[in-house]
Amino acid sequence: MWDRRIFLKSTGLALLSFGAGPSFLARAAAASTTVDRKRTLVALFQRGAMDALAALPPLPPGAGGELERLRPRLAMSAARAAGEERLIDLGIGFALHPALAPLEPLFRGGELAAVHAVGSPDPTRSHFDAQDYMETGTPGRKGTPTGWLNRVCGELGHDASPFRAVALSGTLPRSLYGPEPAVAVARLEEFAVRLPGSVSASRVAGRGFEALYQRTAAEMLQTTGQEAFEAISILSAAELARYRPAAGASYPRSPLGDALRQIAQLIKSDVGLEVAFAESGGWDTHVAQGTARGSFARRADDLARAIAAFWTDLGERRRDVVLMTMTEFGRTVRENGSGGTDHGHGSALFLLGTEVAGGRVHGVLPGLDERVLHEGRDLPVTTDFRAVFAEVAARHLGVNEVGAIFPGWSGPRPALFRA
Amino acid sequence: MNRSWIALCCFAALAAAARGGAAPPRVELPWRDLGWEERAAAAHLLDRLAYGARPGEVDAVVARGLDVWVEEQLAAARAEPELERRLAALPALAMTSEEIQRTYPPGFALRRMAEEAGVVSQEELERALDGSQGRAALEIRARIRDWMAREGYRPERELLAQGHAAKLVSAIYSENQLREVLADFWFNHFNVSLTDPPVRQYLLGYERDAIRPHSTGRFRDLLGATAKHPAMLLYLDNFQSVAAPGQPTTLAREVDRARERGASGAMRSGALGRGAARAAPRGAEVQRRLEERRRQRPDRPQGLNENYARELLELHTLGVDGGYTQADVVEVARAFTGWTLLPAGRLGEVGRQGLERAGRAGGLGFERQGDFLFRADAHDAGEKRVLGARLPAGRGLEDGEQVLDLLAAHPATARHLAAKLAARFVADEPPASLVDRLAATFETSRGDLEQVLRALLESPEFWAPEARAAKIKSPFEVAVSALRALGAEVDNPIPTLEWIARMGQPLYAYAAPTGYPDRAEAWVNTGSLLTRMNFGLELAAGRIGGVRFAAATVAGRGEPESARAALERIAGALLPGRALAPTLEQLEPLLGEPEMARRVAERNPAGAADPVGAIDLLGDEPMARSSRPSGSRRGRAVAEDPALADLFPPPVAMAGAGEPPSALAGIVGLVLGSPEFQRR
Repeated sequence: MWDRRIFLKSTGLALLSFGAGPSFLARAAAASTTVDRKRTLVALFQRGAMDALAALPPLPPGAGGELERLRPRLAMSAARAAGEERLIDLGIGFALHPALAPLEPLFRGGELAAVHAVGSPDPTRSHFDAQDYMETGTPGRKGTPTGWLNRVCGELGHDASPFRAVALSGTLPRSLYGPEPAVAVARLEEFAVRLPGSVSASRVAGRGFEALYQRTAAEMLQTTGQEAFEAISILSAAELARYRPAAGASYPRSPLGDALRQIAQLIKSDVGLEVAFAESGGWDTHVAQGTARGSFARRADDLARAIAAFWTDLGERRRDVVLMTMTEFGRTVRENGSGGTDHGHGSALFLLGTEVAGGRVHGVLPGLDERVLHEGRDLPVTTDFRAVFAEVAARHLGVNEVGAIFPGWSGPRPALFRA
Repeated sequence: MNRSWIALCCFAALAAAARGGAAPPRVELPWRDLGWEERAAAAHLLDRLAYGARPGEVDAVVARGLDVWVEEQLAAARAEPELERRLAALPALAMTSEEIQRTYPPGFALRRMAEEAGVVSQEELERALDGSQGRAALEIRARIRDWMAREGYRPERELLAQGHAAKLVSAIYSENQLREVLADFWFNHFNVSLTDPPVRQYLLGYERDAIRPHSTGRFRDLLGATAKHPAMLLYLDNFQSVAAPGQPTTLAREVDRARERGASGAMRSGALGRGAARAAPRGAEVQRRLEERRRQRPDRPQGLNENYARELLELHTLGVDGGYTQADVVEVARAFTGWTLLPAGRLGEVGRQGLERAGRAGGLGFERQGDFLFRADAHDAGEKRVLGARLPAGRGLEDGEQVLDLLAAHPATARHLAAKLAARFVADEPPASLVDRLAATFETSRGDLEQVLRALLESPEFWAPEARAAKIKSPFEVAVSALRALGAEVDNPIPTLEWIARMGQPLYAYAAPTGYPDRAEAWVNTGSLLTRMNFGLELAAGRIGGVRFAAATVAGRGEPESARAALERIAGALLPGRALAPTLEQLEPLLGEPEMARRVAERNPAGAADPVGAIDLLGDEPMARSSRPSGSRRGRAVAEDPALADLFPPPVAMAGAGEPPSALAGIVGLVLGSPEFQRR
């Protein structure tokens, strides 16, 4: 298997159409006009609603110290010389939470951007509803059968590899519901015929299944079966075990770290991954949210270290990849009685890529005065999340059919990529 | 409302017995005319109306008569003490929603109560919940557990586990298989999802009270039961759909009527709160004050919510091309304003007091039916036009009822449901002739679902040769049919449920109101197909916890004379009534693998007890320790959850992780994971 991999790597996709490699890759290669490496979008859902004002607080004088007044127990300062309590002043009127420090070099290097006060026009404060609306891309509509990422796949306009859309999660996320093939897999090791505890049994069984699926009269089982066995040959267990992230990439030992490491693996294996999905939980910080330490800081630390490691791991493949975070809504501007924050409205997201207009905070944060807040209590939404998603789909994946991805919506797209 | 699932089953059985008795079967199945061999026809029925055949069941159905068996299934009349015994171990199935909420409160309610009871502080809760394993966190969790035990609270996940267990166990062991298939079909048609947390408390009741009693009855009853069930009201937001400000409400009309009747005295007694108590105000005035109060609470519903109305038209009845407009959606939403629920427990306290006050004033248009509540103060009483029909002004609950009548009787609904039933029972793309016929039956029988099923079973399309094995099984169908084919004993359903989720069908958890798509493409992708193969292998090897079966009995009685004979017997037993040649052809070469032959010689000296030892093709070789044992980490965590251990015995697999699977198990696994077994 190793030999074949070397062969694949050294010859590139161009040769595959002569029958030297997996047929799905050959088809994909033949279908695209240039024998180009696939571009990949990594969507990272922060479930539970991230507090944008903890992640990316505005700094005085822009905010006029408003945040410290509204959040006596939660607000941090960039000025206070109290060691790690300090925010990371980005020098543009915003700061990063200290636990997001691993993102600072990406921001200063111009690859990481943020969009502030982004969210859904629908005012719901239900996690389920808001996640549903964000993942379907249709705020206010429960019945949309497909997810926005699945529709993006449908608009890519070329043959799909079976690895075109992969969610590193136990079950398929709503974002990928729909007619385009999408795989949910918690661990890539599951991509094998395997009977734990018995290598030779697995091998024989694999041969047996391969023969059965090759010859079945049920066409769809035959095609998918063939693709599955081709996929196995690429992601052989031995290869997976041999995988070492690039030098300096140190993933946190967490579900998100595992997910992003495996996405990097897929990207570097050239299996035709174009849309990847990962998620991070625990952002619903109602109680004792904390400052430099606490429940928010723990989540932020995991997020930042996982993203930074992913970016390092990708090496030269960074130019093919954009990572975008998203979260269903934001949290109240005021802290609550339990040292936390409650369900709000606008939040913020991060966008990472070599062509992203990075080093900037996009969007409009109109201040924290009660009069500009949503219902007098939450960050307003000044950028519709669909505008950001549409911009990313268009600029990174070349999908311009906004009407097909976000039915019923047409709005201006913010310029989030370099000209 | 308080009927248990079991009682319901018995009731259905008695009623059916009284109705049908020993009457000759009415259904006329045209299998013989269409060239079917009888065993194949019986197997086809078991694949489509049941979750596959159990050992010997094809012959049993042949012996009983295919038509007799079908009548029994339509009547759901067979006794099933075995299933009743198993379901009796799941107490939540028999509980009212109030009992459920008292016993299995959601996490947030538990935390609040624990805090109020002084068991833990807020900071301690936070520490206990962030997953830390420190001593302090463990101590706090132990304290909460003790308090829960004292108060009789159980975790909500135990409630859901019972719902999951009931579904799996019923599908495997029910004698009335069609009833189970239809419960699954109609639940999916009227999908609600436990991914929406408030729905969880009502999920079991929804299937038991709204879906099951009506699955072979009149569609209008099924539609009405789902429309009024808290699970649906919560899931599609109708509970918070209220008349737009300024629209006259039913309450305003009732207040004026009460004034006219001179019943204003009753209202002074406080039926409408402080604002209305000073004098008997006019309806418009009452309404104005209520609206004012609502405006001051921006977290309260402020107007129409169209979600239920839209899905009612698009998914539940007319279908996406059913000829309705966005204006119809709005009008239907108006008709259902005020259709909400009365929560049990503390949440519903204010509502119950309000109802009492309204009652003292003669009802004022409010109406309660179990957990369902019609709120006259939230119902838009203006005139409406739905699909060309006029709903006169000044009404209440009857607006929604009339809409349901209209929709249930609409030809587009007949077509939509006919197409869905044909897709479930015949093919992903059912023949138009069949859809036409079923739609016509639906219309002439005024939505009698049993009549539609009869028409389907008597149709030449159901018995067309190309319909045989034309459907790809869903993951649930794969798992249940495998367990049935093996005659397996499931002591603990949780590990199997984890596999079903991994194959792509977490039960009761499809987030979208469409329900799981009933198409091959939705189930089969490279990842899920591999998981199906691995499920077959692990199940056959006895590696799925909580499941027991005797592999040796799958091959039938008596010693097979050769490896080939054993293979034939196993394939024949697991794929009854199917053409076996393709499967046998591909598997036979494995019997002669040189490496395997060597293993056979080593492991099976002449005269070994294993009757099929000669085909020990799946040898063993302990895998590196780094490999994960069977079941996902999550799966094991759930399976070993102490809260669930009371409910189900700890999962025990037949073969230990180190033991090699037998040759027999290897063949069984290959057949269960084969393409032929994925079809029905």
